[in-house]
Amino acid sequence: MKISNSHYGVILSIPGLIIIIALVIFPLITLLITSVLRYTSIYPITFTGFKNYQYIFGDRLFWLGLEKTVVYSGGVTALTFCGGVILALLLSKITRASAFFRSLSMFSWAVPLVISGFIWRWIFNPNVGVFSDFLMKLKLISKPLPVFSDSTLSMIACVVADAWVRIPFMCVFTLAAIESIPRSLYDAAKVDGADCVDAFRYITLPHIKHMVLIGLLITSMISFRTIDVIFAMTGGGPGRDTYVLSLYIIDQLWLRVNYGTGSAASVIMFLLIASFAGYYVYLIFKEE
Amino acid sequence: MLKGTIAKILEKPFTSYLLLIIMLTIMLAPIIFTAFTSFKPRAETFRWPPTYFPEEPTLQAYHEVLFRSPMVRHLFNSLVVSLGTTAIVVVGGLFSAYGLSQYAFKGSKIVLLIFIATRIVPPISLLVPFYIIMSFLHLLNTYLCLMIVNTFLWYPFAIWMLKSFFDQFPRTLIDSAIVDGCTRTGAFLRIVVPVSAIGIAAVAIITFLWTWNEFLFGMIFTNTREVQPITVGAHYFVGDELVQWDSIAATAMFTALPGLIFFSIAQRAIVRGLTAGAVKE
Repeated sequence: MKISNSHYGVILSIPGLIIIIALVIFPLITLLITSVLRYTSIYPITFTGFKNYQYIFGDRLFWLGLEKTVVYSGGVTALTFCGGVILALLLSKITRASAFFRSLSMFSWAVPLVISGFIWRWIFNPNVGVFSDFLMKLKLISKPLPVFSDSTLSMIACVVADAWVRIPFMCVFTLAAIESIPRSLYDAAKVDGADCVDAFRYITLPHIKHMVLIGLLITSMISFRTIDVIFAMTGGGPGRDTYVLSLYIIDQLWLRVNYGTGSAASVIMFLLIASFAGYYVYLIFKEE
Repeated sequence: MLKGTIAKILEKPFTSYLLLIIMLTIMLAPIIFTAFTSFKPRAETFRWPPTYFPEEPTLQAYHEVLFRSPMVRHLFNSLVVSLGTTAIVVVGGLFSAYGLSQYAFKGSKIVLLIFIATRIVPPISLLVPFYIIMSFLHLLNTYLCLMIVNTFLWYPFAIWMLKSFFDQFPRTLIDSAIVDGCTRTGAFLRIVVPVSAIGIAAVAIITFLWTWNEFLFGMIFTNTREVQPITVGAHYFVGDELVQWDSIAATAMFTALPGLIFFSIAQRAIVRGLTAGAVKE
């Protein structure tokens, strides 16, 4: 018996479809259902409608978590953007040993985020770390900075540790965009008397805008939900100064053992990220 | 006038190299410091002011990590989970990506759209339902559980990358093999797979690395040393009062090792795969 080409395609994609349905669509449906259930370890499971959502929206900790998440994600995205784009611009300018410099700039990408958290925790540690000591040697500060007992500083520390891993990605992304710009444009600009600042503003910037935007979206989407670094560095502290939404969801699961409110918080998280993601998918499809 | 001066300074190649070296020093310093710390005796890691280079280099921390702590077990767990996930993702992804790429059918566009759409689901949102499902199936604290959730994390991405590799494959090559009497599956396994081996290897390496680096699901779904991956197990050296910095540093070196090795030998392929996965070429 001969199977037609299109049927062959269907057969080939079946394993993929099974995996997606079992591992994404089924859990998603479970999530939506449990978010409207009273689902704790104590009482029998019953339908409660939107009570879980009401609880979440009335919870001070949720709004605190949202605020911290926005600050964290915004900080990581901004730092990754600056670091990545500057690094890419520099890498695109050099001619000698460029392969060597490129591979050196990729290494932090390979470090697991948790490990990055530990590394920077040591660096910023006021008792044993090199950061405070370095600043003191430069006579910028007179005594070690108490990084992990200060609200703003501990947030900055987490942002740095997270962005450190993400900068290479942003750099590669931007670099690919820069290299797709035809050289002749720069040559023409030079003939017209433009210096490198003009060339950057009128040629490079418009050409890389689209790719950089996608890179920014991906970074903000991912950092919005990342917890690894915070877990390794501060665990949400001091107090709740780095208490992001992901930690809030985990607290619903572990501390309160309430799957209902945990699910409701997850649905809200999903909708928040989906709003970035929708724009990202739109941008990719606009390309085609 | 000022702008002209700035432009003149920036145009010099020397400026680029100088700035680049400064930036790379900052980027690489944490890795180098960690490597140095891992060779310090414990007393030295608690000294103030801190030492930048180990004054009395020793392998004490590595000895502690390898022989007097459960880290070897955690490394083994990570290895098992990463290899298992990679096998599932690559084998399960190869055929489907190929089918979607070369044998389009009615509705294959929709299937593809579903694959892309699943990539926007943030993993943290599915933490609770996965937890409920896994405890219902009595799968918490098993390798299988970690492999399943990691497959969820990387599978759609792998499909997307593999498809972008297969899209570039010349169709005539497949057709001529079939004319020569090869079956479609035979043509795929004997011609397409070997030719795209580098791309497939890149997908495998990326899946392996990202599973190895994964932390959140490992932390929530396991609580015994028998199955916890290294990213979770590394917290062993963090106490309430004291953090054993030398052992942490040595563990960090072990944990970052696969990434650093793969990035040294296959950087081009990894980077190409990752960017192809993020935006269609």
